[in-house]
Amino acid sequence: MPTLTVDGRVIETAEGKSILEALDDAGLLMNGVDVPHYCWHPKLSVDGSCRLCQVEVEGFPKLQIACNTVVQDGMVVNTTSDRVRKAREGVVELLLINHPLDCPICDQAGECKLQDYAFDYGVEKSRTREPRRAAKKRVDLGPTIVFDQERCILCRRCVRFCDEVPKTRELAVFGRGDRSVIETFPGMELDNPYSMNVADICPVGALTTKDFRFKIRVWFLEDVEGLCTGCANGCNIYLGIANNKVYRYQPRRNDDVNETWMCDAGRLSYRDIGAPDRLQYAYVRDATGSLEAAGYEAAIGAAARRLRAIIGSKGAGVIAGVASAHATNEDLFTFRRFIEALGTETSGVAVPKGDADDLLIKAEKAANAAGARALGLGDASLVADRIRSGGIDALVCLGSDFLGTGLLANVEELAGLDTVIVLDTHKSEFSRVAHVILPTRHAAEKHGTLTNAAGRVQRLRAAVEPAYEAHPDGAVLSHLGKALGLPGFDGSYDVRAVSKALAESEPAFSGIHLDSVGDRGRVLIDPDASQRDREPEGPNL
Amino acid sequence: MISTGTRSKIEAEMERYPQKRGALLPALYLVQAEHGYVSSDTVRELAEIMGLHPVEVMEVVTFYNLFFDRPQPRHHASVCTNLPCSLRGARVLLAQLEEHVGSKVGEPTDDGRLVLGHEECLGACAFAPMMRVDDAYHEDLDLEHAKSILDALE
Ligand code: SF4
Ligand code: SF4
Ligand code: FES
Repeated sequence: MPTLTVDGRVIETAEGKSILEALDDAGLLMNGVDVPHYCWHPKLSVDGSCRLCQVEVEGFPKLQIACNTVVQDGMVVNTTSDRVRKAREGVVELLLINHPLDCPICDQAGECKLQDYAFDYGVEKSRTREPRRAAKKRVDLGPTIVFDQERCILCRRCVRFCDEVPKTRELAVFGRGDRSVIETFPGMELDNPYSMNVADICPVGALTTKDFRFKIRVWFLEDVEGLCTGCANGCNIYLGIANNKVYRYQPRRNDDVNETWMCDAGRLSYRDIGAPDRLQYAYVRDATGSLEAAGYEAAIGAAARRLRAIIGSKGAGVIAGVASAHATNEDLFTFRRFIEALGTETSGVAVPKGDADDLLIKAEKAANAAGARALGLGDASLVADRIRSGGIDALVCLGSDFLGTGLLANVEELAGLDTVIVLDTHKSEFSRVAHVILPTRHAAEKHGTLTNAAGRVQRLRAAVEPAYEAHPDGAVLSHLGKALGLPGFDGSYDVRAVSKALAESEPAFSGIHLDSVGDRGRVLIDPDASQRDREPEGPNL
Repeated sequence: MISTGTRSKIEAEMERYPQKRGALLPALYLVQAEHGYVSSDTVRELAEIMGLHPVEVMEVVTFYNLFFDRPQPRHHASVCTNLPCSLRGARVLLAQLEEHVGSKVGEPTDDGRLVLGHEECLGACAFAPMMRVDDAYHEDLDLEHAKSILDALE
């Protein structure tokens, strides 16, 4: 393995790596060793066009670009010398000659690499008097992105992204030299399932998303680490938060999961959090048959009364439980305990399905389908079958996926049930048949863990608080369990304790809980182990 | 539409290169010779023939000065204004020609007959000043000679 020395630090690296890659792999790039760069991106091919990454390499008379200089064993690199600093100043000065400097009205201000490096390496006085290059402003590139040609520094990151990641090739450099511009082919739009990533990788304010631009200045945002729950991939994200509101999702690098990308649908799914159709109250169906808003406690009481009556007359066997693949491992573990304590044999998880691709997007459109399976929850089709065959009188359902997965022809199939209790984040068709609806928390509002399609257990953090009373599914089940007097349910829900209990009871999760998964998650010991162990007990549990 | 004749010439060019895209420049010359310019529809067609992405073809079209992406006047007359030609009066000559044809550099004449341009070194310094009219060099120019060349253009 070649070894190189950078500013006196000795770094080992793999054969064939560039200086920048070696620094990035060692976790030192911009984190101990500053080599500013525009065109290089860890997940794109090398361009070598911006020249900002020049460093001094012993034995080379001229400065070398760190992004395209392959490490040789024994290489000695200096990134802090006066020559290097002068080179950076030169690059920044040249870029600024034609930059419009419209920072006050630029939405990138505050997270702009040109601003940052101009601050670090900019010269104080402009040495040119010529007018700046005029080019197109506010070019509509497609459904998601707006482009400002004047601000573009031609690093070609966006072009390479479209060529290499979604492989859709919408963007290109047209023209030559000082007349080069980024454009789409005449009549073509930048329109692919990953298009909004170009706004993240654009170092300046040239590419901005229509969704986020001008919503808020970025310095008011706090980034909270979290997960996208749009599908089973579990892309790592930052939630941009201000005033207890989520303004955007942005991908967070995790080379084991989503590299540095996320899909547009997932990115825009933050809108669900504050959507107008969020359930803000509990609802209870009154004696006249109409569904009315109710206090949370009252609704728990009503649900418990109904279930107790059924257990009293027919036993718990006529109660079915449907879990949500959106719920956390902790929620689902509590669900399983709830079902076990109730003593019914009919339960399963409803997993919504959709399109997949070979990049990130998975067919299972919920974040924790694999977690549900690892916890031994079977498919909710069993529940649907038993409802249809008339063996079920009551349903406790987490989320509304049970309606959307095609397991039921329509919601009317549930109209004949004596009791339907729904725990959900948003209003749904369930309002036509449910007897009690209990509001729950969105993934961005609770702590816990989620297991992605590859069996990686990842940490979820509460980034915002709902403005009304809503609890995680596990807590609601715990309250309901207590109201029913179920053994082991005391109405408390300490997610950290539940996570640890889960890790202790499930072999697949051994040692894997909320506090141990770290930033990048941990893979289940054996995603199928739990399922296999539990098989003798029956198809569902 | 690229004619079948041009199409088969392009295909013949493609045979001559280890990678088909190597034939892109000759192919563009053929297409431009047929249409006078390379429209975006033509770019799509050519990309299809050559198995390239339209954007790759467009990048090349816009990179080179001698490919045009929109309809052109019938003739291009470009005076070299690099150092040796300028020393021999090329800039003055160009200004006089602008006056003579009644149109500035880069602006086609109203009848669509001609557009004047200036050019960097065309490698004919020994015969400065010079201009290129379409595919022909005209050297050792003086104003009268240059005017007569332009006047003779259809
Ligand atoms: S638009 Fe942004 S990412 Fe694309 S080349 Fe310009 S500066 Fe780079
Ligand atoms: S691929 Fe899935 S997890 Fe990733 S951003 Fe898209 S919807 Fe979210
Ligand atoms: S990052 Fe190395 S040249 Fe741009």
